[in-house]
Amino acid sequence: MTAPALDELVAGAIALEKWPLARLVRLFEDARPEAVPGKAAAIAALEAHGALPRAMVAGFTGTPGSGKSTLVGELAARMVARDQAVSVAVLAIDPSSHRSGGSILGDRTRVHFPIGERRLYFRSQPSDRELGGMGRATYPVVRVLERLFDYVFVETVGIGQSEVEIERLADRVYLVLQPLGGDHIQFMKAGIMEVPHAFILNKCDVGAAARRSYHALRASIDFARPGEASPPPIYRTSALSGEGLDDVLADLAAHRTVRDPAGRRERDRYFLEKWVRDEYGRFGLELLERQGGAEGLLARAATFEAAQAAYRPPIAPPG
Amino acid sequence: MSSPNDPGQAPAERLPHRLYDADGNPTKDRPWIFRTYAGHSSAAASNALYRKNLAAGQTGLSVAFDLPTQTGYSSDHPLALPEVGKVGVPINTIDDMHQLFEGIPLAEMNTSMTINATAMWLLALYIGVARERGEDVRKLQGTTQNDIIKEYLARGTYIFPPEASLRLIAEMYEYCLDNLPKWNASNICSYHLQEAGATPVQELAFALANAIGVLDTIRERGVVPADRFPEVVGRISFFVNSGIRFIEEMCKMRAFVELWDEITRDRYGVTDPKQRLFRYGVQVNSLGLTEQQPENNAWRILIEALGVTLSRKARCRALQLPAWNEALSLPRPWDQQWSLRLQQILAYETDLLEYPDIFDGSVVIESKVEELKRQAREEIARIEAMGGIRAAVESGYLKSQLVRSMSERVSKINSGELVIVGVNRWTDGLPSPLLTGEDGGIFKVDEAETRRTLEALAAVKAKRDPARVQAALEALEAAARSGANLMEPSIECALARVTTGEWADTLRRVFGEYRPPTGVEGQRLYVDSDRVAEVRRRAEEFVRRTGHRPRIVVGKPGLDGHSNGAEVIAVAARHCGFDVVYSGIRLTPEEIVQSAVEEAADVIGLSILSGSHLDLTRQVIEGLRAAGAGDSIPVIVGGIIPKDDHEALRALGVRQIFTPADFDLADVMSRIMDVVEEQAGVRAR
Repeated sequence: MTAPALDELVAGAIALEKWPLARLVRLFEDARPEAVPGKAAAIAALEAHGALPRAMVAGFTGTPGSGKSTLVGELAARMVARDQAVSVAVLAIDPSSHRSGGSILGDRTRVHFPIGERRLYFRSQPSDRELGGMGRATYPVVRVLERLFDYVFVETVGIGQSEVEIERLADRVYLVLQPLGGDHIQFMKAGIMEVPHAFILNKCDVGAAARRSYHALRASIDFARPGEASPPPIYRTSALSGEGLDDVLADLAAHRTVRDPAGRRERDRYFLEKWVRDEYGRFGLELLERQGGAEGLLARAATFEAAQAAYRPPIAPPG
Repeated sequence: MSSPNDPGQAPAERLPHRLYDADGNPTKDRPWIFRTYAGHSSAAASNALYRKNLAAGQTGLSVAFDLPTQTGYSSDHPLALPEVGKVGVPINTIDDMHQLFEGIPLAEMNTSMTINATAMWLLALYIGVARERGEDVRKLQGTTQNDIIKEYLARGTYIFPPEASLRLIAEMYEYCLDNLPKWNASNICSYHLQEAGATPVQELAFALANAIGVLDTIRERGVVPADRFPEVVGRISFFVNSGIRFIEEMCKMRAFVELWDEITRDRYGVTDPKQRLFRYGVQVNSLGLTEQQPENNAWRILIEALGVTLSRKARCRALQLPAWNEALSLPRPWDQQWSLRLQQILAYETDLLEYPDIFDGSVVIESKVEELKRQAREEIARIEAMGGIRAAVESGYLKSQLVRSMSERVSKINSGELVIVGVNRWTDGLPSPLLTGEDGGIFKVDEAETRRTLEALAAVKAKRDPARVQAALEALEAAARSGANLMEPSIECALARVTTGEWADTLRRVFGEYRPPTGVEGQRLYVDSDRVAEVRRRAEEFVRRTGHRPRIVVGKPGLDGHSNGAEVIAVAARHCGFDVVYSGIRLTPEEIVQSAVEEAADVIGLSILSGSHLDLTRQVIEGLRAAGAGDSIPVIVGGIIPKDDHEALRALGVRQIFTPADFDLADVMSRIMDVVEEQAGVRAR
């Protein structure tokens, strides 16, 4: 992209015009090494226009079917309707097919934003065959959106190792659950219960099951996070009836922070390390391919260990 | 069925292959009710059509309503305008209803209304007309389809969430019990399930579980006294599809009869066999009708009609047949007459009605029926275990099962495993002389009729008493909030000349609107071929060249809820390596544009079957232009699109057009890929 074209794109995006914004996001979705200079130029142009990071990044993670999309959409729409000055971007991640690489990005189905409202922006993102609830492009795209909006809501797909990653990415993490049997909550408490800053028990319009789940969850938190001075709040919500949404909005407002430079450096460091790990993992696989692939290497070697020994890494290990 | 009891007749003369009446005299069956699913343009035009059809020997009416009427919008609503009068008659107020039935005595007619979310409203209008005419309301007979479950699953003209929808149905039963004893307040409709790909077992199981859901709801409400509950059971009717595999379809009908008898007896304790009868009407399958060699459809329709008439024990009560050219457009009056003649030949020229059940004792039929019953029972048990039909809808289970069946069907057509004559076998043929008339063999709605409908609506609004309208709407809202029966308040709305949109909006305010699961997530397509691999390869190449995966927004604009095509394309595109944004039905062009722009889509695929493709496509393209993406996001269109309109669509800028003739998914995806590559300037080949 030429410098004037990029400048125009960035100016349009800062004015929150949807099409320039969408194209700018697309630039950051591009994970190819050759896209890096373009992204660097775009960040520089954003900074030149004074678009510095200003968003609070909120992560919403949780079980499939817990109604995350509807909830996140409803929260964003309310936030914008209530405050004429605030703007919100939603980044919703959906799983990709490991076979075809394609995906169905269905989260828009459950979000109904007013037409032409510039202060609301919804973008779907495939997980791009990554495990862990976020895609390769999630962090780069957040880096753009946090310069353009006051809030960036990231909705991850499912629950996996994602909780760790979302913890690194987001300033505040919400774990969205739906009323279930107590077993499910027991099951989940290993690990995931330690992560979120707050819990949201959604779909509370279902009555008795919701009350039972609330108490099961309350008990599980005490068990999973012993000794915490103030246990994390549990919000009971219903995106359908609107119950409890104001409480979550109040929680967001009360914890509104924008990461300081040191925090951002820390975050960059984490995601750079992850990127190197991923890229060199991919490079390693390419190298394996050039050596005949796993099948070829195993065929030439007698055993798994022999194949390991025969694999020639890109750089000799130290020592 | 009755055994001969005439003492003068010797036993030897009572032959098993003869039918005898109650007096022991040889007789033959009365034919089923002949109907034509009809209505278009305006109330006046539809009334003229009905009178012609009745004069031609039709014996019942089946009213087709346009999509705005079905989804609770008056004709002057922006969402409604492109659809007014397209696939049925627009009914805005009681005066339209008067016009629709002018010269037709209601008390003598058997009227079927294919209407669901707004069924209560249309029944209220029908009762209102009878009251204003001074006809005996208790004599009204017929059916309001009123099956909301199948709307969530297959047809898409729902408005309210399941709980409110079921309440409306239950209240209609409760009202009709005393006030319209001959009216079927709802009609469990598995027709569209088959259209959406349901197998015979799915059709059996989903329909019966649906009926159980309705009856359980009514029973749990406790409004109908327990001793009168069997009357409610006796008023449930069914509307079933009959497909081309006619032996299997006939066995399906026999299985329906036997399972329903079982359910009503065991689950509801109904002792009177008459109230356990499986009473059903049929429209034979439109899904199997082809755009290629459309004259072949005439034979398909005949064979499908046999499936539901041959078997005396499971013969339908009413039949309506599609026309040979329905895959091309709306049928003309002549096409409908041709279908009516088929029924008349079957009933009056052949000896079909002279015999008792000719399949009794067939081990083949008996075994097949048993197999279907067993599998259907298993599926019903699965649904029950999930918490019943409503839970199975809300969880998306039923929808995803149907999308899967449809994908399998399409895959089999693609692979040639399922033979469709003229489509994937014997595709070369002589051109049909039926299509060479001045009108090209298809029907076009006269746009001037829309104006007449709007004028009539404006005239009613101008002359009605606003205070009475206001009071009627307030009473309706109060009843909706308090849980009181909504029938009488609705009838008062009708008499006060409230409009369809006003009635529905009042209830929308109280009940909210519903968006069910799309069923496409997690689906697989069972197509694996070199050509699919080729499209995938091109998708990967696209990623390498542009840095992003090809992204398609599949949009269904307007009120047309037939989403099968859109769903199959969404699943196929994902299978071929696209990122697919699909948000279900009934989107405005603005919403589709917003999705495509925000998502930086590489292509928009519109699916439109209601005949509104020109208007809706124009709106989408203009919207893209206004957003600054007019030259950047190409638009393709699929649906029932007559050849005559292709030029106009291309003039709007549409890059590809797909019709039912484009059944080969690999080919469709390859052509979509062409558009995407060309747009991005990365044409690789």
